[in-house]
Amino acid sequence: MITLYDFELSGNCYKLRLMMSILGVRYDIVPVDFYPGREHKSDWFLKLNPFGELPVLVDDGLVLRDSQAILVYLARKYDTTGKWFPVDDPALTAEIEIWHDFANRITGTASAARLTITMNYDFDLEKAQSGAHQLFRTMDEHLWFAEREGREWLCKADHPTTADIACFPYTALSEEGGISRQDYPAIRRWLDRVRRIEGFTAMSGVFPASRAREAS
Amino acid sequence: MPIAPSAAILDAWHVFSAAAEIGPGPYRSTLLLDTRLDYRRGTNGEVEVRRRDTGAALLVIERYGFAWTSLGSPPDDLFSIPEFYEPDRKNMSCGSLGVNVSAPRAVENFLDMGHFPYVHTGILGEEPHTEVKEYDVEISYERDEILATRCRFYQPRAALSADEGQDVEYIYRVPHPYCSVLYKSCPADESRLDVIGIFCQPMTEETIRAHLLQSMIDDENTITAMRRFQQTIFGQDKPILENQYPKRLPLDPRAETPIRADKSAIAYRRWLSQKGVNYGVIPQAA
Amino acid sequence: MTQTMTDIRHPAWHPIASSEDLPFRHVYHGQLLGQEFAVWRADDGNVNVWENRCLHRGVRLSIGLNEGAELKCQYHGWRYANRSAGCTYIPAHPADAPARRITNRTFPAVESLGLVWSAMGDVTPFAPPLPEGNWMPLRPLPVNARPGAVLAALTAAREAESDVESLPPLGARLVLTGVDGRAAVFFVQPVDSGRAVIRGVVEAESWDDQLSLLRLFNERLSTLRRQVEAEMALEEAPEPLVPVYEPVSLELATMPDLRFGRQAKLRVRVARKWQAGADVTGLELAALEGHLPTFQPGAHLDLFLPNGLIRQYSITNGPGELLSYTVGVKREPDSRGGSVAIADELREGDVVAISEPRNNFPLRRDATRTILIAGGIGITPLLAMAKTLASSRLPFELHVFARSPEHVAFPEALDKLGESVVPHIGLDPAGTAAEIEQLVSGYGFARHLYVCGPGPMLDLVRRRTAEAGWPEEAVHFEYFKNVNEIDLSSTFTVELARSALTLAIPSGKSILEVMRENGVDAPSSCEQGACGTCLTTVLEGIPDHQDVYLNDTERRSNSCMMTCVSRAKSDRLVLDI
Repeated sequence: MITLYDFELSGNCYKLRLMMSILGVRYDIVPVDFYPGREHKSDWFLKLNPFGELPVLVDDGLVLRDSQAILVYLARKYDTTGKWFPVDDPALTAEIEIWHDFANRITGTASAARLTITMNYDFDLEKAQSGAHQLFRTMDEHLWFAEREGREWLCKADHPTTADIACFPYTALSEEGGISRQDYPAIRRWLDRVRRIEGFTAMSGVFPASRAREAS
Repeated sequence: MPIAPSAAILDAWHVFSAAAEIGPGPYRSTLLLDTRLDYRRGTNGEVEVRRRDTGAALLVIERYGFAWTSLGSPPDDLFSIPEFYEPDRKNMSCGSLGVNVSAPRAVENFLDMGHFPYVHTGILGEEPHTEVKEYDVEISYERDEILATRCRFYQPRAALSADEGQDVEYIYRVPHPYCSVLYKSCPADESRLDVIGIFCQPMTEETIRAHLLQSMIDDENTITAMRRFQQTIFGQDKPILENQYPKRLPLDPRAETPIRADKSAIAYRRWLSQKGVNYGVIPQAA
Repeated sequence: MTQTMTDIRHPAWHPIASSEDLPFRHVYHGQLLGQEFAVWRADDGNVNVWENRCLHRGVRLSIGLNEGAELKCQYHGWRYANRSAGCTYIPAHPADAPARRITNRTFPAVESLGLVWSAMGDVTPFAPPLPEGNWMPLRPLPVNARPGAVLAALTAAREAESDVESLPPLGARLVLTGVDGRAAVFFVQPVDSGRAVIRGVVEAESWDDQLSLLRLFNERLSTLRRQVEAEMALEEAPEPLVPVYEPVSLELATMPDLRFGRQAKLRVRVARKWQAGADVTGLELAALEGHLPTFQPGAHLDLFLPNGLIRQYSITNGPGELLSYTVGVKREPDSRGGSVAIADELREGDVVAISEPRNNFPLRRDATRTILIAGGIGITPLLAMAKTLASSRLPFELHVFARSPEHVAFPEALDKLGESVVPHIGLDPAGTAAEIEQLVSGYGFARHLYVCGPGPMLDLVRRRTAEAGWPEEAVHFEYFKNVNEIDLSSTFTVELARSALTLAIPSGKSILEVMRENGVDAPSSCEQGACGTCLTTVLEGIPDHQDVYLNDTERRSNSCMMTCVSRAKSDRLVLDI
């Protein structure tokens, strides 16, 4: 059985809830009082993850940290289609990793801005916001040309991958960090597409999309 | 250039931190009514607050697990929540969350039931049970607060201790221009009410920190789990609040379109107008 | 020289999006001159440009849901119709039609050159700035700089000594350096005082590899953006423009509906007249220009016939269909002249007058199951309801009672509703009674039943639902007409509380008529106690009900009445008028 050490308002925790919801994997939640309790810095939690960071996922005694690493683990272990983290195409695997890294950069900027405004963290807000805008410009351009080439997702595949799951939460939550997405229409369309993936689940701050095209 | 708050706001007590988060040691800083404050817990255990611009020390009281101060001449005490002192309650702060919205918009949202099925889907409401039934609202001049009673709404999961849908009864109080307290049926004990408070710290006219209080009758769940529930709810409200325009609450009745379900909001806007509140609102043109 | 702010704020058409920015069921977040837009394409292809603010509580509609024919606000689920932006449903009050006309602010929308154009203020009709052709939009590029400065930078970045053709207000055709001499046309969208979007178009056939062309221009414009933004960083940022939030009408903010009697406010063209069933004529009544007003499922309109008669017909349209209203007219041999006049005299192309739609048969959407029962021509309001429920995926069944398969009206529309439609064909009165008894046998919480058909059928449903334990408020009736004999013999006094008028009602005249004679305009439609339009609040006195609209509880409450047929048992009535 899987246990997720989880904070509802964390985008990195949400990545895993989203992935497991899409894959239809059952799991238990242990709520961690990240704020205001700072329980992720408590002794019991530091034993689980010495970095004192959420999320942590325990599967049958195996303790994992780092949301992107856990995404890869879940996809490799539980995705019977092999599509969420394909390993038979080296170029595609590398491309997914590039976007996993991009997701970390979004966390370093958009999530930092959100923590500053929402939970009174002491980051440089302006720097975090402008950093996020730079990333979003790159991402919007990438997605716009992907659409021109007939693709809907971040990587060169006709289906979503863990890259889309990794980049989704803090992009979708950016406005809580004062980062408007008005200038990124291709990102806004991609957010709609992710929200229409079968098995999608929302979190506080992310609403579900309207229904996609009906089968007719 | 920030506007000068009128007496109704300047002389009121305003929350600025959860009491438990104020420790001894270096000063911490926050913003209240565009004014930078520094605060810490002194060696005698008392909270000390001073304005950074003038260095003046400000009055402080601790109530309901939060610290309150004032930039003017505050009343003797804060509004009362007697339930807080009942010995078997679990009292907790659910955090102080920053939101890009005015304090009155956040209070008005707190009074609103019609959004439950759309914003708190599956928890506080669910389509197709969308009706806001008739309820009563009064402005009590004697106690200087707004009271909405007989509020009922169908909720799939009203509290953490609820495991099935039920019509839940609410009572709302607005005892302060930027604070509201609600009482709702307690799933664990039919004869009593859970208490949830939102205390808004107006940092600027259009940015707040919302300090969340829960005072619950619940023997089963941990504080962590109860906090998580309340944070989930508030986290769902947040994107709505941050997408409201204009951010300041318009007091002109013609600015927006009220319906019967908005009776308490209409009373709240009128009450703010009558009190001469000018901060975080767009006053009615004379 | 860059243009001044007063120049760019001058009302003019500007591009605000690419057509391809509006895919299926998406809401685009646009902005022009500080005014935010929610831009969405309905399933019928129509592009809506609305103020980005729900009139209820100011929430941005760009975070709302595009449901194909309606936009649904994320905050309280209010629904606004395609084209008109009129509110069609307020879930907090599911039993009420949004009686007061709540309509979001709309802006014009035109698609041309692969771009969506809009404007604020008074503008002349849209004229394409370029001849129609095979234009391909470039990737739009947002720039954090003054719009005038962006245009100036584009102009300055052209090939040496090449020509510039200016396309006011903020456009130019020119050849940029670094794009292999390819001419392009750039329109600068003034988003705000310090923000712009460069929207370029090129002639698509001028290049074999369109993707490379798009990349080339994107790269060139990105370089230009870096330069412009670096220069702007040295300047003080201009103050953002302040959007205008127009106040809602006084009527919406403070007063109950301003109410009117029968008024032929609209002119429509008979776009199509056809045999919609064995004895039913279908009429498609199209707007002469633009679109028709918002309606809600269950609504009817008054049709003003050439022979002077006024008749009520239910609108059969689905949500967001506002280019025409489709109604069904039953040809009745004993009619008072209405249906015969329509069947024989109206021709396609004729222009006739109609009232605005009115809804006294509102559809709740908070039912866990909705049962619709139609007898004969009673299908018309229920068809609109069924279309609405189907498009919102709410569970319902539509029972259609008809004499023969040929007598089922609007068969094509019913086919589209699939298995939710249950026909009951050729039943005698006993068979109908048995069928209805079975249909209403299972009352459950949050179920609602709507019935429209001949009087005996409605009476039957009334009796059977009561026996089966349905609460009155869960059963909704629409009568075609009031067959009760109206007794106009009594005399009494009516006080109009808000108008401060006292009227003596003589025998032979209705309250409504006497009010009209005294200059009090009150709404009415059928004027025979069937449609519910003249419903009035009674403050004092005991009404003598002669209508078929109110249910028993409402009658007994003595708190409301229909002024067109009902009178007084007491000597005096005080009405809230």
